[in-house]
Amino acid sequence: MSKQPNFIARHEELPLKNNSTSLFLQIMVGIAVFLFAVTLSGVLAINTMLQNWNESILGSLTVQIMPSTDVNPEKAAAETIAHQNKALDVLRSLSFVEKADPLTDKQLEKLIQPWLGDGIAIDDLPVPRIIDVKLKRNVDIDFMDLAYKLAQATPMASVDNHKLWLNKLIQFADGIKILALSILALVIMITSGAIFYTTQTSLGLHKYTIEILHQMGAKDTYVAQQYAKRSAILAFQGGVVGLLIAIPTIFGIASLAHQIEGGIIGEAKLSSLDWLSIIGLPAFAAIIAMLTAYYTVKQTLQKLM
Amino acid sequence: MLTTNNKSNVIIEMQNVGIRYGQGPEILSDIRLSLRKGSFHFLTGRSGAGKTSLLSMMYLAQKPSRGSVSVFGQNVNFANRDSLALLRRKIGVVFQDFRLIDHLSAFDNVALPLRVCGMDEREVRKRVMELLQWVELDRSIQATPETLSGGEKQRVAIARAVINRPDLLLADEPTGNVDNDIAPKLMKLFVELNKLGTTVVIATHSEKLISDFAYPRLHLHNRGLRIFGPNDPTGMGVRHV
Repeated sequence: MSKQPNFIARHEELPLKNNSTSLFLQIMVGIAVFLFAVTLSGVLAINTMLQNWNESILGSLTVQIMPSTDVNPEKAAAETIAHQNKALDVLRSLSFVEKADPLTDKQLEKLIQPWLGDGIAIDDLPVPRIIDVKLKRNVDIDFMDLAYKLAQATPMASVDNHKLWLNKLIQFADGIKILALSILALVIMITSGAIFYTTQTSLGLHKYTIEILHQMGAKDTYVAQQYAKRSAILAFQGGVVGLLIAIPTIFGIASLAHQIEGGIIGEAKLSSLDWLSIIGLPAFAAIIAMLTAYYTVKQTLQKLM
Repeated sequence: MLTTNNKSNVIIEMQNVGIRYGQGPEILSDIRLSLRKGSFHFLTGRSGAGKTSLLSMMYLAQKPSRGSVSVFGQNVNFANRDSLALLRRKIGVVFQDFRLIDHLSAFDNVALPLRVCGMDEREVRKRVMELLQWVELDRSIQATPETLSGGEKQRVAIARAVINRPDLLLADEPTGNVDNDIAPKLMKLFVELNKLGTTVVIATHSEKLISDFAYPRLHLHNRGLRIFGPNDPTGMGVRHV
């Protein structure tokens, strides 16, 4: 009796590792993950930026007091301040207003400094006065009532609750989201299409072996699981390469964006959760690949006896 | 008595079965057959008489063009894919062209029927090693089919067919390529399995094999099937009904 080997390596019944289509699949998934990672990072960054703005804007509003048109600058300044005080009285009497403070001369100077330069005397210029209003949280606010009471107190006051420009930004962000969803649909289609094509080709290549497996009593699920496992591994590997290329690209785009417009884009940062979503993309691609391969095999084998 | 009407005891039953390929003429017509559990038959006929087609219906690789085929009491015409797979696990097949998987070793080829059933790998190794030793291939367990001789491949194919202790064993010329000294040993294996309850059908051209073993013969001739008793050298058997 000959000596038994201690270990007999088990080989895959379907030699899917050596498939010529494997590289094609990895490249397709790599490209898909790269595209989606870059798009997703953009969408998430814009979302964070909008959320930050929204949070700060929701709890505040701005009341603007138009300057008096009196030809005497001193009289005009005094009239403007009088109107501001009337508005302040109204605002501070309202139950939903937590705090109402006029911007100081220094703060106003800082606001108009980019346009008019240094050394400006605010009182000498017909610039509006601004009251920064902080609103109480979780309280119903009647903006119509607020505007009516202010108009009664002074005709020079106007209210800006920032909704108009925020709505425009939200519309822009929605557009970006639709673009991202379109790219996601494209990514899923590319990945599924590549898996479908490579699986069909491979099933044709391994028809003989699959027939033998069936004859030995293998169910379609047995064959489908082998394809699903292999496709998931290949898609994950391709996805990781796509992600590794995408990460420096995301940093590069972020750096460029900061150079172009630091003020606004500066707030567009990715949180840890956002990074987790991006890093999870290869696993997402692997799941799509696994499911597509599994059902492609099942569907194709159904046509056989 | 070669057939029985006791349904629970019938492994394969064919009623008015015909097979044709494409639009061609029927190569088998009105086949009626009932194989009893634990029976042993040779299947004979000239080349092209339809032996392989009849066997392929028995091992569920083909459905009849007409008529009905029942295997283990289940009508194949209406069985779904998973049911067919479960039925195939009870059937061992030795193909004339072996049908081994070229990239797998002799060990892995023989282990296939056990692995598709999800058997524990330790049990798989034990059973496969025992059988490979029995067919004198224990020195070639890691060899792939392309490095094996015709006789060795045939022994691997036979080992694969019997590893699962099938209820039905179908063999197409199983001793055609083996040496004269190993052929009786393989036949002894089939006989032993038959004694344990396995139903055996062996397609062969070998008159020596048929005369050495006194088993009844299913003979295909003129698209029909006749059955001869074990001691019927005249070939004047009665058409099986």
